Amino acid sequence: MPPSESKVHSSNGFFQKKSEPNVITINVGGQLFQTTKQTLALAGSKSILSKILDPNFSPSEVPFIDRDPEIFSILLSLLRTGNLPSKARAFDLQDLIFEAKFYGIENLLMSSQSNPSQFEAFNLERSLILPLNGRDSPSAISTTPYGSVHVAHGSKITSFDWSLNRKSTILTQFLAVDSLLALTPSVAAAGATDFSGLQILDLEKGFVKETLTWENQTMSSSTVQAIGSSPTHLFTSFESGRRNSNSIMVFDLQEGFRPVAEVGHHEIYGAEIDSAIPATKLKWVSSYNLLMASGSHGGPSGVLGNIRLWDIRSGNVFWELKEKIDCFSDVTVSDDLSAIFKVGVNSGEVYVADLRKLSTENPWVCVGDGRKGYSKKKEGFGCKIESHGNQVFCSKGGDVELWSEVVLGSSRGSREDGFGERVFRRNLMGRMKDVGGNRITQMGFGGNKMVVTRKDEQCVEVWQSSVRGF
Amino acid sequence: MEERNSHYTLQTQSHDRIKLNVGGKLFETTISTIRAGGSDSLLTALSCRPSDDGDPVFIDRDPEIFSVLLSLLRSNRLPSTSRRFSKQELAEEALYYGIENCLKSAMLPPPLSGIDASLVETIRPAADGFPTAFTAGAGDGSVWIAHGGQISGYDWNLIHTGTVRTHLEYITSIHRVWPEVAAVGSENDAGLHLYDFSGGRHVGSVEWTDTSDPRVYKARVFAIADSTDSIFASFECAHRENSILKIDKSTLQVTSEIGRQSGNAAKTMVPRKLTYLPESGIILGSAVSCGSFGYSGYIRIWDPRSGKEVWETNEPGSGRSSRFGDSFADVDVDVDESTMFKVCSKSGDVAIADLRNLKEDPWVYLEEKNPSLRNSRGRGGGGGEENMVIHCYKKQVFLSREGGLEVWSRVKEKREEEEEEEEESSRRVVEEWSYRRNYVDNNKTKKVEDKDSSLSSSSSSVRGIIKRIEGGGDRLFVSREGVEGVEVWESSEFSGSVSVL
Repeated sequence: MPPSESKVHSSNGFFQKKSEPNVITINVGGQLFQTTKQTLALAGSKSILSKILDPNFSPSEVPFIDRDPEIFSILLSLLRTGNLPSKARAFDLQDLIFEAKFYGIENLLMSSQSNPSQFEAFNLERSLILPLNGRDSPSAISTTPYGSVHVAHGSKITSFDWSLNRKSTILTQFLAVDSLLALTPSVAAAGATDFSGLQILDLEKGFVKETLTWENQTMSSSTVQAIGSSPTHLFTSFESGRRNSNSIMVFDLQEGFRPVAEVGHHEIYGAEIDSAIPATKLKWVSSYNLLMASGSHGGPSGVLGNIRLWDIRSGNVFWELKEKIDCFSDVTVSDDLSAIFKVGVNSGEVYVADLRKLSTENPWVCVGDGRKGYSKKKEGFGCKIESHGNQVFCSKGGDVELWSEVVLGSSRGSREDGFGERVFRRNLMGRMKDVGGNRITQMGFGGNKMVVTRKDEQCVEVWQSSVRGF
Repeated sequence: MEERNSHYTLQTQSHDRIKLNVGGKLFETTISTIRAGGSDSLLTALSCRPSDDGDPVFIDRDPEIFSVLLSLLRSNRLPSTSRRFSKQELAEEALYYGIENCLKSAMLPPPLSGIDASLVETIRPAADGFPTAFTAGAGDGSVWIAHGGQISGYDWNLIHTGTVRTHLEYITSIHRVWPEVAAVGSENDAGLHLYDFSGGRHVGSVEWTDTSDPRVYKARVFAIADSTDSIFASFECAHRENSILKIDKSTLQVTSEIGRQSGNAAKTMVPRKLTYLPESGIILGSAVSCGSFGYSGYIRIWDPRSGKEVWETNEPGSGRSSRFGDSFADVDVDVDESTMFKVCSKSGDVAIADLRNLKEDPWVYLEEKNPSLRNSRGRGGGGGEENMVIHCYKKQVFLSREGGLEVWSRVKEKREEEEEEEEESSRRVVEEWSYRRNYVDNNKTKKVEDKDSSLSSSSSSVRGIIKRIEGGGDRLFVSREGVEGVEVWESSEFSGSVSVL
């Protein structure tokens, strides 16, 4: 309450009052609040609270804001400490967001509640189910750094805001969206393997902002196999409608999606299977300035795949690996761990390749049970692997394994090549009640949460670590 | 919100502020906020009082509920603290302060979008809970349900406003002709009857008589529609002769007979669906009968001013239909767009026809583009075994096959068309509307409903066949055969997240 708060600041407040009034009194909905100029300045220049600080604003009376005083007291605490007080639990997060929007401080609320720094992989538990209307189960999912979630199900895309309290659904021209990437909380790139062109969609109003295409010599349609992005560029893996050529296009994100470069253009002649595989996963490795592209193909002789690291500026392949034995079921790259991770389709085990010492022979080090590598069973079929921060998440059936590196002291295990043998350990995520369920089809990470979709389930599962305030 | 922020000025002058003492608690707000409820509200009246002494105005009401309503006036949105009060309490208190319009706009659901609608509740009348007819014609989200011989009214908040017992035993058609008056008819009893809902009494009846033909007697009503000054009702006599009567709303006198016909063939059956199109002033009637040889029926358009028939189509039989042997199972008119939609009985296909440009075969069949849905269209060639209901509302077409509910929604599509202009082929981008089919219901709501209904009665544990779909306000009302109550489907901005901690 206001009187006690002013006591906290009394040491500097009362003495300076006569010369330079540092303490500011505001009347919000009939209640008086006192705070300092510094606290109000934290609201930012766009906030209406900053108007009080305007030197031209010299009120004859206490400034009055016609809003609810109780919620203001919570938002004032947020300004003072950067965290929500526990009394905020008396309100819905939705009320606080609405009032914070009025004062222009939603970003502060967002960073206190859904900050990527609050992501604690070891502390995640299954906390929310977001239902999706209709009968289509999710086909693609994308998240933003602050935790907005976009889910494509059927021809629809449902977007949940960072608080996961509000949603909106748009209808697209696609029959099913196979790749989705959120560019901002309200703009996403979407593509499908049976529909020509990559569409940049406005998710609030539901219109197509831009359609990006790629054309090979035969001018046939181009379907989208994968989408990726770096802070400055958008990458799209296209395959021609006749499936006889494929390419990765680089578009400029800042300059209205202008095509910048084309890498890995393959025209397929004859039965050369390797170049016929389009990239189905694109990941940007920012510390190396490389784009990882991977694709695989299942045939009668087993699964074949390739992983390439592209230098976008020169358009050359920096490193290439052809996978024949225990090909990846899914592959990902972790910038923080400087390593590529795969889950083998035959063994279902996780392998690591260190980005710092890549060789074309066999860079993989099995961190699971290595003996399974030569089995002909497809134990890793449908497994997904994703990295976020310092951790790698691998789905096996309905469960998620969390792989993390154990950093050992330098005394142990250092070898002559200068690198110690890296130690990775796994945990099964969740409590007893969270284990199991239908096969996981997608995983995404944003804010302090992990989102998971499962086969034949019309919902999105949210795993969260608990946050102060709520 | 952004705009409001930039225009928001910090009030420092106390003369445009007002202090209120509600039940002992002090509130302070601005004059403009308190007047947001409209010029004839109690609060506006209070704000006009001269308050020279600066004493707060005392209102002897509950302060907590007032703080909710003050939040509503300030931000046009109900805070979460409103959940402490029932919908009815809020509505009554808002009525007291005269700001029920504000409350209405904050509590009514967002625009109905079929691709994102969910079952929010099932309205169950207490006795005789199987709805035989219902009308959502007022357009504000309210619904009047006829169940057996009773009519129950539910207001925009879906709060039960009252039940009227009529002299009819089994109401099969109901239409709201005045805000408080319902016209009801029964397929078992003669006449069209008007009941005043607020007074709960019978206000008038209309019978079809013909001085020159004594057989026209005890005619029953099958469908009702209305324009601003007339009621249209289709009557059928015991010997199946039928006609649409145009009835003056104020005098309840029959002004004309439209489309009188013998009724001895499928082509001349009594219309079971009537729609009045205010834009063109025409009335569209349709009838479908289903026998061992499949469906047959007609769609006919009359001009009520001349009483003449303007256009008709008979299926099977008339014209050069591109779908021979696939006659329609149901038809509905989109009044705003002047289009009509039909669903074919055999293939289950949906077709659209432009009412402004009716030809011999006006139908354009909507293409099912999704290969995964192509096979889920029903039994295919089952020959009239499916129950299909079609309803157009807010530029969407809602369709039920048996117990499932689906929606066809419009999406703008750009299509490249190659034009060959004198050796030069150029590509032209054509923008057109295409329709996409999606399911409204999901398997999950089925389960939830199963749970609910298993509590009430074991017989309705399977989702019933949808008998009637009607949109009103931003709600979709659905009634099912053998299921008590009327389902209410709404879109929501809230994610409806369920905690599983």
